[in-house]
Formats: sequence, C-alpha cells, structure tokens
Amino acid sequence: MKVGYYPGCTLKGKAKALDETTQYAVGLLGAELVEIPDWTCCGATTPLTQTKIANLIAQTRLLSKTRDAGYDALVTTCPFCFSTLRRANLTLRNDELKRKRMNTYLAEDRRLRDYETPPPDYVPYEGETKVLHLLEWLRDTIGFDRIARACKGSRNETLRVAPFYGCQLLRPAEELAMCDPEDPHILEDFLRALGLQVIGFPERIDCCGSYLSVAKPAAALRASYRILDAARKLGADTVAVTCPLCFFNLDYQQAQMLREYPEFRTIPIMYFTQLLALSLGVPLDKLGLESHRVDPRPVLERVPREVPA
Amino acid sequence: MSRYGLFICHCGRNIADTVDVPELVRRFKAEEGDLDVVQDYAYLCSDPGQNMIEEAIRKNRLDGVVIASCSPTLHEPTFRNVAQHAGLNKYKLDIANIREQCSWVHERTPEATDKAESIIRATLARVRNSKPLVPIKSPVVKRALVIGGGVAGIQAALDIANSGIEVVLVERSPSIGGHMAQLSETFPTFDCSQCILTPKMVEVSRHPNVRLYTYSEVEEVLGSVGDFKVRIKQKPRYVKADACTACGDCVKVCPVVIPSEFDMGLQSRRAIHIPFPQAVPAVYTLDTDNCLGLVLLACGKCREACDVGAIDYDMKPKYLEEHVGAIVVATGFDLYDMSHLGEYGYDRIADVIDGLYFERLLSASGPTGGLVRRPSDGKVPREVVFIQCAGSREPERHKGYCSKICCMYTAKQAMLYQHRVHGGQSYVFYIDVRAGGRDYEEFYRRALDEGVVYLRGKVSRVFEEGGKIVVRGSDTVAGGPVEVRADMVVLATPMVPSHGADALSHILKIGCTADGWFREVHPKLRPLESVTPGFFLAGAAQGPKDIPETVAQASGAAAKAISLLANSEIVKEPIVAAVDEDLCVGCRLCVQMCPYNARSWDTDRRVATVNAVLCEGCGACAAGCPSGATRQDGFTDEQINAAIEAILQRIPEIADNGEGSAAEENSVTVAK
Repeated sequence: MKVGYYPGCTLKGKAKALDETTQYAVGLLGAELVEIPDWTCCGATTPLTQTKIANLIAQTRLLSKTRDAGYDALVTTCPFCFSTLRRANLTLRNDELKRKRMNTYLAEDRRLRDYETPPPDYVPYEGETKVLHLLEWLRDTIGFDRIARACKGSRNETLRVAPFYGCQLLRPAEELAMCDPEDPHILEDFLRALGLQVIGFPERIDCCGSYLSVAKPAAALRASYRILDAARKLGADTVAVTCPLCFFNLDYQQAQMLREYPEFRTIPIMYFTQLLALSLGVPLDKLGLESHRVDPRPVLERVPREVPA
Repeated sequence: MSRYGLFICHCGRNIADTVDVPELVRRFKAEEGDLDVVQDYAYLCSDPGQNMIEEAIRKNRLDGVVIASCSPTLHEPTFRNVAQHAGLNKYKLDIANIREQCSWVHERTPEATDKAESIIRATLARVRNSKPLVPIKSPVVKRALVIGGGVAGIQAALDIANSGIEVVLVERSPSIGGHMAQLSETFPTFDCSQCILTPKMVEVSRHPNVRLYTYSEVEEVLGSVGDFKVRIKQKPRYVKADACTACGDCVKVCPVVIPSEFDMGLQSRRAIHIPFPQAVPAVYTLDTDNCLGLVLLACGKCREACDVGAIDYDMKPKYLEEHVGAIVVATGFDLYDMSHLGEYGYDRIADVIDGLYFERLLSASGPTGGLVRRPSDGKVPREVVFIQCAGSREPERHKGYCSKICCMYTAKQAMLYQHRVHGGQSYVFYIDVRAGGRDYEEFYRRALDEGVVYLRGKVSRVFEEGGKIVVRGSDTVAGGPVEVRADMVVLATPMVPSHGADALSHILKIGCTADGWFREVHPKLRPLESVTPGFFLAGAAQGPKDIPETVAQASGAAAKAISLLANSEIVKEPIVAAVDEDLCVGCRLCVQMCPYNARSWDTDRRVATVNAVLCEGCGACAAGCPSGATRQDGFTDEQINAAIEAILQRIPEIADNGEGSAAEENSVTVAK
C-alpha cells in the first residue's frame, strides 16, 4: 500500500509543530510520509452544508488526485481534515447520485481549466483512496509495539499525561469507524506505547469549546477551563491533544482563564506527535515548543531524560 | 371445455383506490374464451362475498377459480374452503395477490391497473394448468417436547402433562429453574421468586407424564407437524443420578475453585457442583471444562470421597430418540453483555454491575445472604445509582427495542435496597418510566413515596474519584447537568435472546426476528405459533417479557399444543414433490438436496422416492432434478411456465416476436 501524507492548511500555519514533529518522528521510526503533490483544501466544514454540488467538490478533487498520483491511501494528522475527508469518501462510495454529480462536474471542470496542455482523461472517482488518521496508520502499519520498542530507554515514565480526544476523531462513530466514541482507547494505547504514565481522564471526550471561542468566548472558556481543572486535579503534568482547535482552546486561552478563575493553575498542552518525537529522543528545541503559550519546558525538563541509543 | 371464474376484491379502498377494478372487470369480460364468470365485490372475504363465489361456482359448474385479492397467507384457506364447499377441488382455486404486491406499493396510475391485470393473467394461467390434489393425512403422535426448563418451559410442560399428554422436557443446564431461580423478590408484590418457583420445579420433575432430561440438548429434529423425531444429547454428568444422595462429600475434597455462574461470579463453586441448593434434579455434576482431568492419576479425589460410588469417570454422552407431535420452544433470554457498555465503566470499575448481579446480592440464598454488599471490598453501599435503558432504546450503538421489564425491576431493586440498607439512597436515571400493567404504576409510585430519587435523563459519564463512583448525566426536568457520587452502579441492561437460540433456530428450522427472537405467525392473532407448523413459542424466547406474561404465554402455548394433539390425524397440504419414475435417471441429487430427509433412494426399484409426510414443499429437489422427473404439485413446471408466458405476452416487444415463440423459449430459460 502506497501512502501519501496530507498535512492540511493549519499544519502549515498555526499548528506547524504538529506537522514538523509528525515528519520527524515518522522518520525516526524508519518510515517516510511523503506529502502528496499540489494538495488543495480539504473542504473543511463544507460537507455540513446542504448544497448539491459545492459541498463535496474539494474532497473529491483531492481524493481523485491522490489516486491519480498513484497512492492507495492518504494519511492526515489534523482531525478536521480526517473527519471531512473520511466522511466525504464514504458518501462518494455509498451514494450513487452524489458520486455521479461529482464526477460529471470534475470531468467538465478539468477540461475547462486546463488551458495549455491537453487534459488527461478523467477517470471517475468511486471512493478508492483510503483515508487514514496518523494514529490509525501508526497502530496498523507501524504498530504500537514497534513504537514501544523504539521508545524504550527514554526516561519519560514519570510524565503524567491526560489524553484528550476532542470531537472530530470520534464522531459520527458509524461513519468514521475509528473507535468506540463513548469508551475510546486508541490514544491511551498510543501514549502507553510511548512509555508515558497515562492517567484515567473522564473529561477526555468532553467538548473543548470548539468554534464557540469565536461566537461565545465565555462559554468556550468555561468548557476548556473545566477540562484543564480536572486534569490538574488528577495530577496530570500535561494534556495530550490531537487537534489544532483543541490546542488553541486549551493552550492559548489559559491566560484568559487565569484572569477569570483566580484559583486556576496553568498546565502545558502537547500534541500527541510532540510526545512521540520526545519519546523517540528528539531534543526539546526541535519540538516546536516556542509556539506554546504555556511553556511545557519546565515540566519536560523536570523529567530526567536520556536520548535512546 | 373447462370453465373458469375470476373474482376481484375491492378490499374496501385498499385495492380499489389504486387499481381501477371496474376497468379490470371490463377487460376480462370483453375476452372470448373459457372465462365464464367475472365479478367484483367490496369485500370478498365477507359472508355475502363468500356466498357469491360459492353460488357462482355451483351455478356455472366452474372448473377453476382465481380470487384477485390480498396475500394468500391471509385468505387462501378461506376461499379454498368456499371452493371445497361448492364442490370444486380446492387446489383448483388460486389467489392473485393484487393488494400487497400491487395496490399497497403503487400510486393510482394506469400502470397499476395494468400490473394487476398481469398478476391476474399469470394466476389464471397457473389455474388452467393445475390439477386437482388430495390433502395428505398422517397420524398424530400424542406426545409433546418442551425445550427449555425455565418458568415458561415448566409451566407449558405442566399444563400439557395435566391434560394427560406425555411431555419430554429438555434443559441444557444441570438444573431446571432458569433465570427466575436467580431472582430475589418479584414485582409488583415482593413475593420471593424461589418460593413460588421451586414447588413448580419439584412438581414437574415428579409428574408421571413428564420425562425430564437435564444437562441435555436437542441435536436434531426431523419430520413435521404431528410426527417429529427428536435426537437429544444427554451430556455426561459423571455422577450417577440414581445413586447420588446429594450429601456433598465430593465438593469438600474438590480442589478446583471457580466463579459460580448461578451467582454471577459473586461466589465460587467447585468443579463438581450443584448449581443451587434447590436445584432439580438434586444431583451433582462434574464440569469437565474445569475438572483437573478424568484420569485417576491427575486427581480422583471426588471418587474416593463418594461413599455410595455414584461417581463414574467413564460416563459417555447418551443419545436418545424421542417421538413427539408438537414442540414448545421456551429457551428464554440472557442479559446483554455489559462489556459492550464501556461508557458506563463496566470493565474499569468493579462496583458497576448489572441487574442480575444485583438480584443475587438481594437474594436470601445469594452469596451475601441478602445483605447488600458491593463486590469490590464488601462494604455496604450508602448510595446506589440505577441506570435504566443501559444498552436498550439505543439503535445507533446497542439494541433499539425497549426491554420492557427494566423499569419495574429497577423500581423493585431500588426499593429493596432501601429496605435492606437503612439510610441508603437509591437514584434512578431514566428516559421514561413504562409501568403498563395492573398494579405496576402504583408500584412505581410506591418507589417515589419511599424516597427513591428519579432523575430523568441519560448518563454521559461514569468514573471513579476519591473512592466514589461519579455518575454524571443530565436532568432534563431541572434542565441542567447532574452529578451523583455513588458507591455502586447497577445497569438495567436489556434482555437478549438466550445464547444458542440462533443455532437452535437452524436445528428446528423456525424463523427469527432481526434481533434474534423467535418469530410468531402473526403478532396479534397468532402470537403463540411459530411460522413452521407444530412449533409453539413460550416466554422470553419470543421477546422481552416479565414473569406473569411469560407464564400466561406458556399456558397459551401449551393449550395450542394440546389442541393440535387432540386431533387423531393431521391434514397436510398436498403441495409436495412427486416423481415420474419413468424419467428418473437415478442420480440421487434430490436425496442430497432435501433439507427435510423426505427424499430417499429405493435400492430395489432403483428410483428416487418422496415421503410426502416429511416433504415441506420447498421445491429444491424439483428445481434441481436434471431429468425433469421430480415435479412439485401445485407448482409444476407447466404452471410456472404458463404463468411466465402470460406475463411476457403482455410485453409488446416479446409478444410481437412471432406467436409467442420467443416467450416460450424465454419461459423455459427462466424456469430452468
């Protein structure tokens, strides 16, 4: 299976650390994720709209281009890209009418857009490209046991991590088929493979506040505060997240939490890939930690570390 | 020349609203030929409607009749009886289903009327090619089999036995009693479950008309209604039932300690055991899955300890054949496995249990003697949360149906807990409280009066914190989140069909619903009979039921079985396979294909034969016969080809292709 890597827009901007640590860590695991050529927008929230054509174009174009470039599967790290691509792919596979609409549109579109070179024949896309989240790929292709062996010797087992899933990885469960949305364990399994201390964290599937941080900042702040407060009370050193939006709500907003909730104490947030890179022995200055509002370095430096051989 | 009649039913507006019935009458009347009578009527199944048909058959001396109406599963017997009464062989009457297969599934369009015409023409073609048939009669074996020894099976067996008919009662576990024997007190009267059940257990085991096989399973059922041959496997107990005095000396020396299934693992048992003190029969059973080995070198302690020499390591499974006329299926239920419910912390938190566990904690014969103690540390819980609909009414992830009994048993358990633990507090999370049934709503009110706190809403999270189990959910009455810090959580998990019910449905060849419950013929009018004749359904095997309903249904199923066995012979539809022996080439394909053992090979005459009594008329052998020797009476090749041809004739491209020759060719390809 030839696998292409799709970072998505946020990973090239605000969540650069997520992209860089992914590439770094995967390299250290002896594998490679090659970015697919000329990737375009994943479509973000367009599948949620009720239009007939526009809501699936971005995804179909991207997935058919991935197939045409010779890839069988596409791995994403951003849960938003993962969710929108996986769900759109399922719709294309199962809904004949929508598939027909997309393919008719894209066949025409390619002819109209290609002004200089004669257009190659458009092959209708029927959902062939597999859409995987990095966690799934690490579990099924690399193997958590192999990761565990690679991380052996890193001295992070005193680092207490609270896993936080966010919403996009889990739901709608029937469509994403990632894991049990009420009782997931893939992130815990992953973090345990890294040799970290994973704490039982009931708030792990709560809502971080999501886009309410724009419309109703106070409500989003309260949601994030509850999660971090619970993590702190359970003795977590850090909260592991998968999603750039969770990261924004949980990390960037802590300054505001300090103002709103006097007893609040800050807690650093880490992307799961940063923890992977860390456990594989990547030095702290290469983890993109400078972009964090709450500096994780004091916590990470407290933990005795040793680079594995 | 033969004369035929066609009667078209309006079915009130069911057919007439969609299909243009007067137009159909006009079309068929306009036709030259053998169709002597064409009539329509508002309700052919009504008394005047039936009289009209009967009169027309007599007056015109009709040789065949087509009734265009509803599905044959509803009124074929009705109209065939009319035909018989009018002196016509009743198999010369056939139903054209223009309701379920036409009017109900179409809008009122000219095409709908055309389709109804096609269906009628095909049926006419079938009737024109049909032959008069004679019903098959076979004697009835006046004995019954009851599968499952829970309260449903016990009740059905007792009722049948009391009518003087011999009953074979088969139970797969070492004792009869089923789940009811595990319960503490029952709703809505708080009477002790075992106290009311055990007399029945003893009665059934001592009844002169009951032959009880415990630790036994039905392996094979052959034959058909009135005459079943049943093969039963009696698993070896390694303890001679007639010699064992149930003294218990063997248990004391058995070195293997494992969790007791009867006590839901709350207590241990030995490899040689009796499930519970009141077990019937009161005989020990050696469970070989856990025994150190039946080799004397390995252990052999129980045999040494047994003074009466009841233990026999050389016991082999016994296979018994029983001959019965009717079978009652009473295989009961299991609870939905809690391991599917990770969100309620079952796998992480020791004190999250299900309703049946809690019954054992409440039961006077249970591991705690009826004192409520939590499994993790044996402490008395001060606060208990009950979660209703844990896995039911959740079509997305679990079971879509309402398990029906949980509202009432939760109310009962919540009260019983507060009776046993003074100062204890029960909380119940619910979606709705469904308390239909006499005295049920009052029982629920009593729970409220006794201070059980009912919180309307779903639970979102269950986790441990500081030695307590935190149950977080929503309270949709108060309109906000709610959190209860409890010592124990009881999940009201739904009833599901008993494990093995699926395999049994294949052995018995009876149908199931999508959820795996045994299906009845008609949910309202024939709720006690399986679709396959001769099988009756009792208790929770058919769907979630409480004890009163289970017992009532078991008695009903018994009455049905008795009324079947009261006949001296069974009249069977002659829709069976028959062989033209001159054409049989002796390939014996039919013998291999028959799922009912109705086909066999006559070694002397060297032809394949049919046992018409066993034949269910599935048609497999007739379709498979390469030489055309086997025919299916009522569905012969001539009839089916003629029906297909009648429809193809109405498709212009085919009909125009020269005098229907193409149609003929086509029909042959379709039929073969």
